[in-house]
Amino acid sequence: MSKVLSGKDALSSARKEQKRSYWMLVLPAVVIYLSVMAFPTVFSIVLSMTSYNGGKIFGGRIPVEFVGFKWYKRLFVDEYFYLALKNNMWIVLVSVLGQIPLGFFLAYVLYRGLVKLTDFFQTMIYLPCVISTVVIGILWKSFFSPHGAFPEIVRLFKPSYEYGVSNHPILPVLFVILWMYTGTYLIIFMANLQKIDSAVIEAARIDGASEGQSLRYIILPALSGVIVTSCILAISGSLKSFDLIYVMTGGGPANQTSVLSVYMFDKAFKGAPNYPLANAISTVMVTISFILIGLTKWAESKFGGRE
Amino acid sequence: MADIKDTKSARAKVNKALTYAVMFFFTFMAIYPLFWLLMNSFKTTTEFQLNKLGFPQHWTLINYKDAWVRGKFPHLILNSMVYTGVTTVVTLGLSFMAGFGFAKIPHKATKILHGSFIIGLLLTLQSIMVPLFLLINWTGLYNTRLGVLIPYIGIAMPMGIYLGTDYIKSIPNALIESARLDGATYFRIFRSIIVPMALPVGVTLAILTVTGTWNEFMLINILTSSDALKSLPVGVQKFAGALSSDFGKQFAALVIGLIPMLAFYLGFRKEITKGVAAGAVKG
Repeated sequence: MSKVLSGKDALSSARKEQKRSYWMLVLPAVVIYLSVMAFPTVFSIVLSMTSYNGGKIFGGRIPVEFVGFKWYKRLFVDEYFYLALKNNMWIVLVSVLGQIPLGFFLAYVLYRGLVKLTDFFQTMIYLPCVISTVVIGILWKSFFSPHGAFPEIVRLFKPSYEYGVSNHPILPVLFVILWMYTGTYLIIFMANLQKIDSAVIEAARIDGASEGQSLRYIILPALSGVIVTSCILAISGSLKSFDLIYVMTGGGPANQTSVLSVYMFDKAFKGAPNYPLANAISTVMVTISFILIGLTKWAESKFGGRE
Repeated sequence: MADIKDTKSARAKVNKALTYAVMFFFTFMAIYPLFWLLMNSFKTTTEFQLNKLGFPQHWTLINYKDAWVRGKFPHLILNSMVYTGVTTVVTLGLSFMAGFGFAKIPHKATKILHGSFIIGLLLTLQSIMVPLFLLINWTGLYNTRLGVLIPYIGIAMPMGIYLGTDYIKSIPNALIESARLDGATYFRIFRSIIVPMALPVGVTLAILTVTGTWNEFMLINILTSSDALKSLPVGVQKFAGALSSDFGKQFAALVIGLIPMLAFYLGFRKEITKGVAAGAVKG
């Protein structure tokens, strides 16, 4: 620290330059990230425990009070909250048990070279994923509407069909979600299957392993990490789903297709705003997503891990 | 002997045909709704009501003409290009800069800062939507381009930092050290070594940011109110979503809305699929 040698002086000025450069490089990203994501996340949790409802936070006409878990308690006796939660869970199920197995199956067929035109199939099946969700949502809304194509198609098979209000309005939404995102998992599995050394599979085949055996003992164990990652993606993606449902059904009829994010949006931006309640909903959403992800990781450590 | 072989190859043929049938079925399912949309955008609404599944009897472009003008599509597309372009360029720049700092300049703050970005990969837009809306209002950025761009950049940051830092770590230290010994500043090193070498991950990151920003709908919907600032998805929703009975015009608007991303996808197919696979790292 003391200036004994001039060499040390040069060193310390280099250190200073290093420190200064570090902050100049890192700071812009950090500041923008903290203000747009990190701070609002914390702020959201704080807001959910207050009585804030617009205007100034400090010195407003009605002082903002700390109310503890009031909004959470309100939420847990709200039937629409449970309805939205149930729909979210359906979406999680369709994603984890529908998109992932289907995506894997398609990727496996393409990877093993069971069909030609690999590129064509992959390109076409992934195509719905790149199109804006808004376009997709309106398209399907019209497709399933009483004046759309769906009733006509049903009539091709069952001429006596009459359009009526469905008892399960969430079903078309689940179908569209399956339709739209399966391609993502096809791509993810395809990329990771291609990392497996094909010589290992060929060797097993020569030793007499069947297609099923090489799948069971070579391919699936090699992919266990990717399967877990896909589950996590599917879970967090399903809890986030907003655009499609907002555009396709708006949560209707009578909140029958609402999900937590749409319900939260309604509370915050439709009619008289209830920001604390909306933030309580989003906090619950994040908590559920973390719990489900934790469970997936736990299941992996317990049952998986033969990589 | 020959018999067994014959049945075996016959069975293989049947299997093959079945596999093709299944693959074509899924491909058909993926494409048909879009094909249906395209077909019907060339029918007048009156024709659509009589003929919902077939080809148009009288092909017409009138829907496109109407939608293009009344939906103000040139303006929407321009807006979307500005939002997407600025967000992508700034995100790339900031991610490379911070990624370089995190990966190659030793500092005790790196662990906590870099870690906080990684947590950001798991955060959802919903958990910040209301606070962000309030913050943007308080800072007077509501209904401005900047009030859309700043959140877009911040949201793209975690993925950028994750991919950027990871990639820059793989650049050999020796390159940087020898440049340091030659007296190069860190900024020089950034400009002449890091940026050129990190270009491959830049492509992946750009793809992810472009697709994410172009299709974003929820935030811009709540952060802006004037028509002049709307992006393509918001415009399509406001215009086509309101036309619940004028199907012809609605379909034309949807086709216009999907063409930019479709062209982008068909043009950068390889890079996009690579980017999706690389981006699937959450958790």
